[in-house]
Amino acid sequence: MLMQESALPLTPFRRGKVRDVYEVDAGRLLIVATDRVSAFDVVMGETIPQKGAVLTQITAWWLGRLEDKVDHHMLSANISEIVRQVPQLRGHEQELRGRAMLCRRTTVFPIECVVRGYLSGSAWKEYRERGTLAGEALPKGLRESDRLEPPIFSPATKADLGHDENITIDRMRSLIGEPAARELERLSRAIYEAGRAIAATRGIIIADTKFEFGRSKSTGGEGVEKVILVDEVLTPDSSRFWPADSYEPGHGQSSFDKQPLRDYLDAEKRAGRWDGNYPPPRLPKEVIDATSERYLDIYRRLTGHSLDPNGSH
Amino acid sequence: MLELWSPATRYGLWRRLWLALAEAERELGVAIPDEAIQQMHANLDNIDFKAVAAYEKRFRHDVMAHVHAFGDVAPAAKPFIHLGATSAYVTDNADLILMRRGLDLLRARTLDVLHSLAAFAEKWRDQPTLGYTHLQPAQLTTVGKRATLWMQDLVLDVQDIDYRRRTLPFRGVKGTTGTQASFLELFEGDHEKVRRLDQLVTERVSFPRALAVTGQTYTRKLDAFVLSVVAGVAASAAKFSGDIRMLQSFGEMEEPFESEQVGSSAMAYKRNPMRAERIASLARFVNSLEGNANQTHAVQYFERTLDDSANRRLVIPEMFLATDAILLLVANISSGLEVYPAVIGRRVAAELPFMATEQLIVRAVRAGGDRQVVHETIRKHSLAAARAIKEGADSNDLLERLSKDKSLGVRLQDLRGAIDPRRFVGRAPEQVDEFLRDVITPLFAGETARPERAEELRV
Repeated sequence: MLMQESALPLTPFRRGKVRDVYEVDAGRLLIVATDRVSAFDVVMGETIPQKGAVLTQITAWWLGRLEDKVDHHMLSANISEIVRQVPQLRGHEQELRGRAMLCRRTTVFPIECVVRGYLSGSAWKEYRERGTLAGEALPKGLRESDRLEPPIFSPATKADLGHDENITIDRMRSLIGEPAARELERLSRAIYEAGRAIAATRGIIIADTKFEFGRSKSTGGEGVEKVILVDEVLTPDSSRFWPADSYEPGHGQSSFDKQPLRDYLDAEKRAGRWDGNYPPPRLPKEVIDATSERYLDIYRRLTGHSLDPNGSH
Repeated sequence: MLELWSPATRYGLWRRLWLALAEAERELGVAIPDEAIQQMHANLDNIDFKAVAAYEKRFRHDVMAHVHAFGDVAPAAKPFIHLGATSAYVTDNADLILMRRGLDLLRARTLDVLHSLAAFAEKWRDQPTLGYTHLQPAQLTTVGKRATLWMQDLVLDVQDIDYRRRTLPFRGVKGTTGTQASFLELFEGDHEKVRRLDQLVTERVSFPRALAVTGQTYTRKLDAFVLSVVAGVAASAAKFSGDIRMLQSFGEMEEPFESEQVGSSAMAYKRNPMRAERIASLARFVNSLEGNANQTHAVQYFERTLDDSANRRLVIPEMFLATDAILLLVANISSGLEVYPAVIGRRVAAELPFMATEQLIVRAVRAGGDRQVVHETIRKHSLAAARAIKEGADSNDLLERLSKDKSLGVRLQDLRGAIDPRRFVGRAPEQVDEFLRDVITPLFAGETARPERAEELRV
């Protein structure tokens, strides 16, 4: 079933461009990924079948793999289990299958923890303009899409309007305190490097990514607040995924997940049929199917098995 | 820019906004058939303006005329077009989209100008020229350094444009008095769906957010904000044009003059700075309208009054169009500026001996003079030389007068050496280099390749 809108018997907590968050009770949230997709900053009129489920299940898969490195907020991403724990969702199984994740509530740090393992996007732009990244000087002579060793941690705050605002690590320290800042950087690097290494063996380059962390509402042993990984993790929406077999530094790389969509839109632009503004062209079935297949392919490659529509975790 | 403010663009945007509304309503469960969406999509620019005019004559209402004309070519959509909306949904939101695109166009033109001026500043980075304060000759600067002053104003304008562009909110889907009552009715009391509708449409047209609250219209303060940025560009251009006009009057520089251009119908020898004068003329028009936008905002009563409408239809497009024309002129002038170093040098030579008196005093004291005596001697000779010039001498002979004064005991050659103009420009050449390196290069680095500009100055 295709879904653009989820209307559930829960209180909406926050709605994003592609994900909706609902309040279950004081201690739990339900995160639902929709099938909406955007390209070139424009939201497409059509949805991509399975996209929401793929994103949720990729996060669930990573969280399982990373359990020895970090605590996370996932309680379940399996629809039967979710409905068992939240009975008022009975009857909504079809629309939530695979795409919903039941989570513990945390107090989220107001920081986007960006880790970059390759020089791309706004980081490439900053480097080209000023030779720096997150304000720190980088070696001269780097090319676009070059691998960064070690990866670079560049925090950002969530800006009110549109794009997040990059901040220095000093600024991050003053916002959340020295110990938390150190812990968020350590965890971000550890998770990214582990993820980058695993993905590389499956033909996927994770060029950069963004994590969010929260604090548990109840304190752990000895009164220390635990830092918990929240939000989506190492998905094609929170990261840049590149196909490793066509990787070539010196220019921008193709996008593992959105390339069929971008190629189609590029052709429409070149043919003068689209000016880049709303509305985007209607997407032909082949493009929708090819994009959907890309997402399923990413899931298969990463996990080694096909997507279980119920959610396997 | 002309195309941006054309009826085809504006009413094409209205249709896009109706499509976005229908798509979003459909997503939220309103039973709009796919055929309706398809027909709207296929007829976004298929506007029969004669049909619109006929409808408008009947209805005396432009939005309803366009609703009907759109419904004629998209009959399956006819029952759904404008569902729940008030006119301001299309008129106001389209205005915001147009203004945002207008800012993009002005920004691109401003960068064009900065490209030309950067090359100009670099070329003339160390050409000494008279600086002026109070319109009186003052310490020397360089031709390139003066160009950086023009450039810096435009860079500040670009930063202002970027801020306004990035933060400009959408009006969104708010209904007749801004309470969203009709949409609450449409969604049978589901507040969340009404909120979502506002958000969905806003996302579709790629605005970062919609205003949290509105009356019928978006607050006209937004117009004032945007138009103040536009007026700022015009003011920067006017300052540039004033300098060019005076420099042309001095004979130091000239705006481009075509080989067959006629300066004056009567005075055949004349070369008038007519392009710079046109900038001044248009900029005064633009700047005179800046306050208009705040006045319109000030007199909007309660949820809206219609006395904004006819006024805004003129003020907004005309300010953008005139400023676009201004920037075309600035680009034309700045890419073809003629500099006459010989004239500049003569004018410097006429003033420099006076400006160099401080250094001359030091030289004379070094040659054994008494500072107070030397000062008085130089003062007397300076006044005499200045009087001589005013009474018809062809050049400033202060140095000759000083070298002939035995009480000073300095040689003419030494005095000449002391007044090399390059010694009087301070850090001007270095400031040009630093400005280009630290301000201009980073600004351009973030830009994608410049598209070829099709528009030329036609008159």
